[in-house]
Amino acid sequence: MDEQGTTQSQAQAAQPVVAQPAPVAVAPVAAQPAVAPAPVVEAPKEAPTEIDIRIPTQAYFISGIRDFVVNLTKNMTGFSERWAYRFQAVVDELCNNAIEYGSAPGQFLKLTLISTKDTSLEVIVEDTGTGPKKMTAADMKNLYEERKQMMTGQYLGLRGRGLPKIVGEWTDELVFEDVETGGLRVKVKKYLRKEEDKVSSAKSDPTHLVLPG
Amino acid sequence: MTQVQVTIEDLAGAPEGKVLKVVHVVGQLDETNVDEEAKQIYALLEATPQGLSLIFDFSGLEYMNSKSIGYLTDWYSKASGSGGMVVIAGARDNILDILQVVGLTQLINTYGTLEEAKLAVAQ
Repeated sequence: MDEQGTTQSQAQAAQPVVAQPAPVAVAPVAAQPAVAPAPVVEAPKEAPTEIDIRIPTQAYFISGIRDFVVNLTKNMTGFSERWAYRFQAVVDELCNNAIEYGSAPGQFLKLTLISTKDTSLEVIVEDTGTGPKKMTAADMKNLYEERKQMMTGQYLGLRGRGLPKIVGEWTDELVFEDVETGGLRVKVKKYLRKEEDKVSSAKSDPTHLVLPG
Repeated sequence: MTQVQVTIEDLAGAPEGKVLKVVHVVGQLDETNVDEEAKQIYALLEATPQGLSLIFDFSGLEYMNSKSIGYLTDWYSKASGSGGMVVIAGARDNILDILQVVGLTQLINTYGTLEEAKLAVAQ
C-alpha cells in the first residue's frame, strides 16, 4: 500500500493497456557529445606580394622576365597554368611597347607585379617618357580604342594585336596614366573569379593525395 | 637574342603546280629574333610566287609574340592569295591559346600532328 492508500493491483488496473510491440534488438549507439556549430570565420587573406623590377631598355632582357612571370604565376598567385602563360604574353607585350615607345636606349622601364593570392594579379609597366615615340595616356587610350575597332573584323595587318587582343582580352582592368616625371604608366589587373581559372587544389597541395576512383 | 631554330624541309608528293614545305620552329619567337627569322619565310614566298603551301610545325615552339603572329598572318595572306596555303601543326596549348585570342585560328587551320597537317595540305 502506498501513501494514498491504493494497492499495487488497483494502480495497475487504472493504467490503460497499450499493446507493446515485440522487442527488437538494437545495436548500441555511442552517446554523442553535444557540439555547438563552429562559427564561420573566413581565413585571413594574405597580404599582397609586390615585386618591383627595373629592366634596361633592351628586348634581350624580356625573355628572362617572361620565364619569371610564368613561374611566379604558377607558384604564388592561385591562377592556373593557362593563365601563367597568358600573363607571360601580357607582360611581354607591355614591356616591348615601353621599349619601343617610351624609354630611350640606355634608360630603364619599371615592371611591378602585385599578387593578392587567390584574388588578383596586377601588372604595372612604367616607362621614362624619353623614347623616340613617346605617348601620353590620352594618346594611348585613343590608340587602344582605334585598334580595338580595327580588330572587330578579320584583321590581316602586320602589327597592332598586342594591346587590344592580348592585353585587353586577358585582363579585367586597363588604365593608362601620365607619370609626373614625363613617362607613361600602364596598369592592368586580372581578378581570379572563375573556378576554371584557378590552379587545382590537388596540384597546389603536395600533401593532398588523390586516389583513383 | 632569344634562342630559336627555324629549319625548312621540302615535302614530296605535292599535287601538280604546288610546292609543299614544312617550317619547323623550335624555341621562342619574340622581339629579339622574329624580324631576322621572318626573312627566311619571305625569301621562300619570293622564290615560289605561285602555289606555295607551308606547314608550320610548332611542336617545338614555346612562345610567340604579337609581332610573330602578325608575320604569320601576312604569310597566310600572301600564300593563300597565290594559290597556296598555310597551316599549323602540333602547336602547344599556350600557342593555340594566343592564336585563338587574336582570331588567327579562324583564318588558319590547325592540326594536332604534323602527319594530319601533311595529309590535309597534300589533298
